[in-house]
Amino acid sequence: MNRQPRTLLTLLLIAVIAGTGYFLWRDLTGGEVQNGLRPREQRPARGGRLTVTQRSEPRSFNRLLSGNSVTDAIAHLTQGRLVRVNRASQQLEPWLAESFETEPGGRVFTLKLRQGLRWSDGTPFSTDDVLFTFRAVFDEKAGSVLKSTLEVNGAPIKATAPDARTIRLEYAAPFGPGLRLLDNLPILPRHKLEAMLQAGTFAQSWNAATPPADIVGMGPFRLTQYEPGQRLVFSRNPNYWRKADEGTQLPYLDEIVMDIVPDQSAELLRLQAGEADMFQYALRPEDSATLRPLVEQKRVSFIELGVTTDPDVFFLNLRERHWAKDPRRGWITKRELRQAISHAIDREAFADTIYLGEAVPVWGPVTPGNKEWFSPNVPRYPYSLESARAKLAEIGLINRDDDEWVEDPGGADARFTLITYRGNHVLERESTLLRDELRKIGLAVDVVPLETNALIDRMLRGDFEAIFFNYGASDLDPALSKDFWLSSGAAHIWNMAQAKPATPWEAEIDALMAQQATTIDPAERRRLFAEVQRVFAEHVPALYFVAPRLYMGVSSRTLNLTPSVLRPQLLWSADTIAVKP
Amino acid sequence: MVTFCLRRLLVALLLILGAASGAFLLTRVAGDPVIEEPGPRTAEERQRERERLGLNRPLLSQYLSWLSDALRLDFGDSIYFSRPVGPLVRERAVNTAILALAALTLATVVGLPLGVYTATHRTGPGPALARAGSMLLLSTPPLIGSLVLVLIAVRTGWFPSGGMTSAAGLTGWRWLADVSIHLPVPALALALPLAATLERLQSQALAEVSRDTFVRATLARGVTPRHALLRHAWPASLGPVLGLYGVIIGTLFSGSFVVEAVTAWPGLGRLMVDGLRARDLYLVAGAAAAGAACLAAGTFVADVAHAVIDPRVRESR
Repeated sequence: MNRQPRTLLTLLLIAVIAGTGYFLWRDLTGGEVQNGLRPREQRPARGGRLTVTQRSEPRSFNRLLSGNSVTDAIAHLTQGRLVRVNRASQQLEPWLAESFETEPGGRVFTLKLRQGLRWSDGTPFSTDDVLFTFRAVFDEKAGSVLKSTLEVNGAPIKATAPDARTIRLEYAAPFGPGLRLLDNLPILPRHKLEAMLQAGTFAQSWNAATPPADIVGMGPFRLTQYEPGQRLVFSRNPNYWRKADEGTQLPYLDEIVMDIVPDQSAELLRLQAGEADMFQYALRPEDSATLRPLVEQKRVSFIELGVTTDPDVFFLNLRERHWAKDPRRGWITKRELRQAISHAIDREAFADTIYLGEAVPVWGPVTPGNKEWFSPNVPRYPYSLESARAKLAEIGLINRDDDEWVEDPGGADARFTLITYRGNHVLERESTLLRDELRKIGLAVDVVPLETNALIDRMLRGDFEAIFFNYGASDLDPALSKDFWLSSGAAHIWNMAQAKPATPWEAEIDALMAQQATTIDPAERRRLFAEVQRVFAEHVPALYFVAPRLYMGVSSRTLNLTPSVLRPQLLWSADTIAVKP
Repeated sequence: MVTFCLRRLLVALLLILGAASGAFLLTRVAGDPVIEEPGPRTAEERQRERERLGLNRPLLSQYLSWLSDALRLDFGDSIYFSRPVGPLVRERAVNTAILALAALTLATVVGLPLGVYTATHRTGPGPALARAGSMLLLSTPPLIGSLVLVLIAVRTGWFPSGGMTSAAGLTGWRWLADVSIHLPVPALALALPLAATLERLQSQALAEVSRDTFVRATLARGVTPRHALLRHAWPASLGPVLGLYGVIIGTLFSGSFVVEAVTAWPGLGRLMVDGLRARDLYLVAGAAAAGAACLAAGTFVADVAHAVIDPRVRESR
């Protein structure tokens, strides 16, 4: 290269850096310093449009057919359910049913529907729609993803309608969560979907090619436009039943526009530019720093959602048959190894390093974010490298040759491979930190990032040594996450789908969970589940280190938000969201 | 020429078939689409879903039944969208084609003249600036380039930062006007590095041809330098440039995921990645077939153009 282009290249680079610097300077100057919390809000009024971004396309507009997060968010906007779990208080409340009663024994429930309800297309809502929805859920050909979650003791819920306003639900056995089971179940319009159910084509219903006018619901909004790959537009449902406390007909908003923006950085830029009011994911730790100048300019606010209920989890493969021919079988599935690992992690430092301090230490899968079920009274393993080494020594892992690693009695280094999600920067950082911390006690960990599908496939086949990933519990109520807790469960991640409990403590948890699920008294259920958490923490089949506090960034023109750690964190109460005129 | 065209068509068909088959088989081997569907499902429900989708059959049987449908241009139903793949790919291919055409035009209009300029003006601040700009654009990763352009759009408000239209349901001139407003950011993100590539290639090719004896002989015959350049040297220098055009057209028309994701352009690249993430083998195979068709068409057009411009190529074929 001759000198002239090199000089000009340098000048161009300087110009780019100067330009970037100018924009940063413009952001950093202006507005007084605030703590980022939202100021006292003005009263909400009807009207206006809210723009939210979403990273992927809906798989379906029928919640019965997909558990996809976009489909779920859309179901919250467009559909109604008989009862709902208030995401903020985590309590059950009446919705399309104005009241509900539980008969003694906790097996039979009677729900009274509100009078005069209409679907978004004006058709009267009736008990026939409720009965149709239950029929669709349990129809073999329909392929509903909600089927197994709505079975009690493996049997479907029996729904009948004794009169025009009453629904009677009969469970196969007493079930502790009671009607919470129905929180995920949107009631579908019989007049629109019955023909497809009868024709056996329900599995293709309400897909991306369905005209929006055919998608009717009981939610606060109705889908009015869908441009694949670009946006979904939801307009106010003129027949929505709910009024605000002061008597205003809800929803407040005229319209919600959901722009599909696949790239997270582009989403952030849209929020910065005022082109979007919120996005559907909690902020990454590094995003907070990017948005801070806008918070200071009062253009964006941080909303604290609370402590996550789904912390990242590390676990070893505890299937004995996986290790049957492996020389490490003498120590790798031992409880002391897991306790040593727990002792070796400084959870405060973990929170500081990975989440910039915005996380709390946890000792089990139930975090303080789960207000109803969290038990603080579980065995803990305070940070102590000495205790960790002592635990390793109990199972024969001692440094025998004065190198960096501990060895088993056969002289082999204590080493295992940890797989995690490729491209998930938080998990990759956590795995690296775990590897570095365990090195201090002489355990060698090889971190291998894998694609999501490959990791899940390895986990389902039981072909792994250790995994660090994120597992989302399906519900806050433990009886609705039985797949995780029960030894026979398909999400009993460390040793799935056991024919009979492999260990006495898993048998104990199974028994406690069975008792907890069939107990009706809430206090007794809490006591039983606290005992489950204690047994779990004592045997640490899976290790939890910290649970991050989740934040969302929203534009300052939004009003009346009710944040929740549960998805969809803000849109779950879309009917009461308002924007400044 | 007819034999040449027929031979290229056969190669194109084989390329499309190979790409789509490869995509189908690799996606199927790489993972299980049923795992990708979130939501609580028991092992039995997963198995039922696999049976419904025909994924429980041996791989060869799945492939052969897909192939027999694909040869009749039926690429099956997308597992992710529960819709036929054909119309889905067509919708997105049209969007990608709009963007690709704009980017190609922009890259050509900027890159080729600039290449001629830098080839004929070796010194001075103008050519030096053009060369430095090209090198900067060539060394900027597409993600960074796209994000910088979106950032500029966001800060200045000159153009929308993303999307293809501002509202649904627009038709005719209003739709065209709206799309035109949304085009600059993604089109520039695609066109700038291409313009830089064309500038460099055109500049070097023309500089080399200008030193050839036939150009010197032309000048010795008293032809003006401008005429010698435009009528003799420039057409002769287009060989390598047109060769690259085939690849550029194919790449542009099969969609760029990075640019489409950052600028929220609903094109083929994004559809392909959505399909890959969901292990939607039918969608991936359909999108791969469309991408391969674009590549084959691009190469074919470039070859024909080369043959038309350069009689030596025509005769050799």
